[in-house]
Amino acid sequence: MSRTLRTLHAAEVGVGTELPPMVIEATPTFVVSTAIATRDFQDVHHDRDAAVGRGSKDIFLNILTDNGLVQRFVTDWAGSEALVRSIKIRLGVPCYAYDTITFSGRVTDEIEVGGERRFVIEVIGRDSLGDHVTGTVQVVLP
Amino acid sequence: MSSTTISDAAQRIVSQGDSAPRLARDPVNQPMVNNWVEAIGETNPVYNDPGFAARSVHGGLVAPPAMAQVWTMRGLHGQRADDDPLGAMTAVLDAEGFTSVVATDSEQTYHRYLRPGEHVAASARLESVVGPKQTALGEGWFVTTRTSWTVGEEVVAEMLFRVLKFRPPGEHRAPDADRARVVDAPEYAAGVLRPVISADTAFFWEGTSVGELRIQRWGETLRHPPGPVGTGGDLATTPDYVVARGTGTLYSYVVHHAPKVPGKRLPFVVALVELDEGVRVLGELIDVGPEDVYIGLAVSVVFLRIDDELTLPAWQVAQ
Amino acid sequence: MTAMTLSGKAAIAGIGATEFSKDSGRSELRLAAECTHAALADAGLAPSDVDGLVTFTMDSNAEIALARELGIGELTFFSRIGYGGGAAAATVQQAAMAVATGVADVVVAYRAFNERSGHRFGQVSAGAAQQVNTSGIDNSFHYPAGIATPAAMVAMLARRYLHDYGAGSEDFGRIAVIDRKHAATNPNAWFYGKPITLADHQASRWIAEPLRLLDCCQESDGGVALVITSAERARDLPHRPAIVAAAAQGSSPGQYVMTSYYRDELAALPELGVVGRQLWTQAGITPSDVDVAVLYDHFTPYVLLQLEELGFCGRGEAKDFIAGDTLELGGALPLNPHGGQLGEAYIHGMNGIAEAVRQLRGSAVNQVEDAQHVLVTAGTGVPTSGLVLARI
Repeated sequence: MSRTLRTLHAAEVGVGTELPPMVIEATPTFVVSTAIATRDFQDVHHDRDAAVGRGSKDIFLNILTDNGLVQRFVTDWAGSEALVRSIKIRLGVPCYAYDTITFSGRVTDEIEVGGERRFVIEVIGRDSLGDHVTGTVQVVLP
Repeated sequence: MSSTTISDAAQRIVSQGDSAPRLARDPVNQPMVNNWVEAIGETNPVYNDPGFAARSVHGGLVAPPAMAQVWTMRGLHGQRADDDPLGAMTAVLDAEGFTSVVATDSEQTYHRYLRPGEHVAASARLESVVGPKQTALGEGWFVTTRTSWTVGEEVVAEMLFRVLKFRPPGEHRAPDADRARVVDAPEYAAGVLRPVISADTAFFWEGTSVGELRIQRWGETLRHPPGPVGTGGDLATTPDYVVARGTGTLYSYVVHHAPKVPGKRLPFVVALVELDEGVRVLGELIDVGPEDVYIGLAVSVVFLRIDDELTLPAWQVAQ
Repeated sequence: MTAMTLSGKAAIAGIGATEFSKDSGRSELRLAAECTHAALADAGLAPSDVDGLVTFTMDSNAEIALARELGIGELTFFSRIGYGGGAAAATVQQAAMAVATGVADVVVAYRAFNERSGHRFGQVSAGAAQQVNTSGIDNSFHYPAGIATPAAMVAMLARRYLHDYGAGSEDFGRIAVIDRKHAATNPNAWFYGKPITLADHQASRWIAEPLRLLDCCQESDGGVALVITSAERARDLPHRPAIVAAAAQGSSPGQYVMTSYYRDELAALPELGVVGRQLWTQAGITPSDVDVAVLYDHFTPYVLLQLEELGFCGRGEAKDFIAGDTLELGGALPLNPHGGQLGEAYIHGMNGIAEAVRQLRGSAVNQVEDAQHVLVTAGTGVPTSGLVLARI
């Protein structure tokens, strides 16, 4: 992987700055591969019959993947020098296979924690059923 | 009764504090990082390009912070530790009929990035168990745990994790509770006027179909009929509902004689009932002669099951 | 600076009606055309003078259809009012506002239907129950339960009224008796020559207890139209104008259409209170100044409640207020001299407004002597409206 992300500097960011949206096609392959890559072997994330048997429409994304996607969404924008300090998410409607999640975000606050200046970014990941994940990420920018 | 059982168990598990640290199967390692960034679609080179990482703020390769939990996942055939507080609390709630689970919140804090070769351990403790709450999914308890990841003595990451353990639809009452009477009333199906249902009222009809009289709640305020906005037009609040005890008294009533009404046998009584919870709910009053009906009459809820799609709330004279 | 007011700006200059029947034998549009034609002739105006039309949302005759049939030319104002019979007085309010502001010159308010031979409101309407909008959602909490007709909707409130105030079915009956008494001497009334006694009322069958058949107004075919223009222009027209001294609409917290069952107090009509307060203020009169009351009488209990809500008497006191000859033509508050909807016809309240105009002109068959102020109300238990019409 040789792509270098553009590094965003704190001076370029302020409250209200919008993040470019990120669209995730949650194909069955995506749902399964992320579940396994996060070492989550619960059948509802890779076995459609089992998922349906438990009352779900299809296999669906796991939470560890949501954390990963939220992290990626923020650092795709902020760049490789950004330090992610926290990811706090509330889980909403499921994201079933074949759905699409669109992440949107916005800088909502600038805070200081232990002498470190952090930006608070509000993130929403929405799929066809509604808000799949909503929350905040704290990052430090150079 | 079951609430006391659950609260007592929660108190006991909370007092046990942190579980023993459980070491991850593998140290932080590049192959797992590589799998993870491929799957997630992460392109940040600090995770897999040693040269780039060396020149970066990290001074070398690091693992994605969002992988913190991945390292200590139990894996395909893993077993919960005996002292795992979430496992213990889950068992208690399962036994009380709250068998379904949905995660609601995950709050991860990363004190520093991990580097390949570091071996993390996780320990967890039960923070709180709150309930019973009426939620859109059903009656349930919110179980909050706090997990700490350590390398040696150093805490490197923490997570507050909350799940809702709820009673799945259809299993609507604790085994020892009185079930509301459900009357099979297919004769009513012939042309009964069916309710128009909206996103704001669906929970009510879903409730009747499982024998629950659900009353919308905005904070502390009960409201019926339900709607999309809370008291005073506050758009910021969201409702849940309570399952009414299903008892109340007649506030007013009508004995309908004419004309014919689809799905009803003339004459019939319709009661406006003031619930013990304080709101009024309308429904047919069955199994009673009109001459025995009066304002103030004590009634209890009964459900008229028309078909798979419709169950109407109704009333009967309380025993 | 004068306070802004609608009072006195507009007048009803013409009234017209078809015959009132149980089977008109012609289309609703034809009825609308006939009553409008008659109203314009009464006002000494031609269809070409009309530039505004207003009716009920429930009316099946579009303004443009009526305009085409009668050769009405350009329209600058057309409007509709919702909530069934609650619209009646509000059609005049809309028209008055239009002429007062110069939006239109001559506005016709009309209502025409085959309510008996065609679509009957007294029957259960699956269409109303299951409309896919907020009204349908509202209806979902009572239609499936069996509260599915106007009589049943009113009966719930009436039962509580009886309970709260110790009134009885006879008290409702007295309203039916006075209406039928007045209709009996009105040749245009369906129940012309057919008075009833309180015993007849008490012997009539239950519809929705505590309502008997004779507590429920009849169903009718027919149409009524009213011509509204500025008070100034009305003075130059053939008849003495009925000045719109006050016109108001009202809705109240917790409002539903006939099923406002969830308010703290069930046995009340707070939406009419909203109307009443405006009427007294606008007209600058009090209830004691009212010479004739044309109160919407689709169901007798609501006449009692209206008397209370409008301040003619205290809450729960209507049964005592109406005792004796209060509501007779020579009484303190003559009620519905035309026979009301129980006696004359059910034209959704519009025939009552026409009667108010006749009383002010001095041309009513059951004329109240020297009527100066006539109160008219619209359908109650719904978002409603009212008028005070005055003689110049």
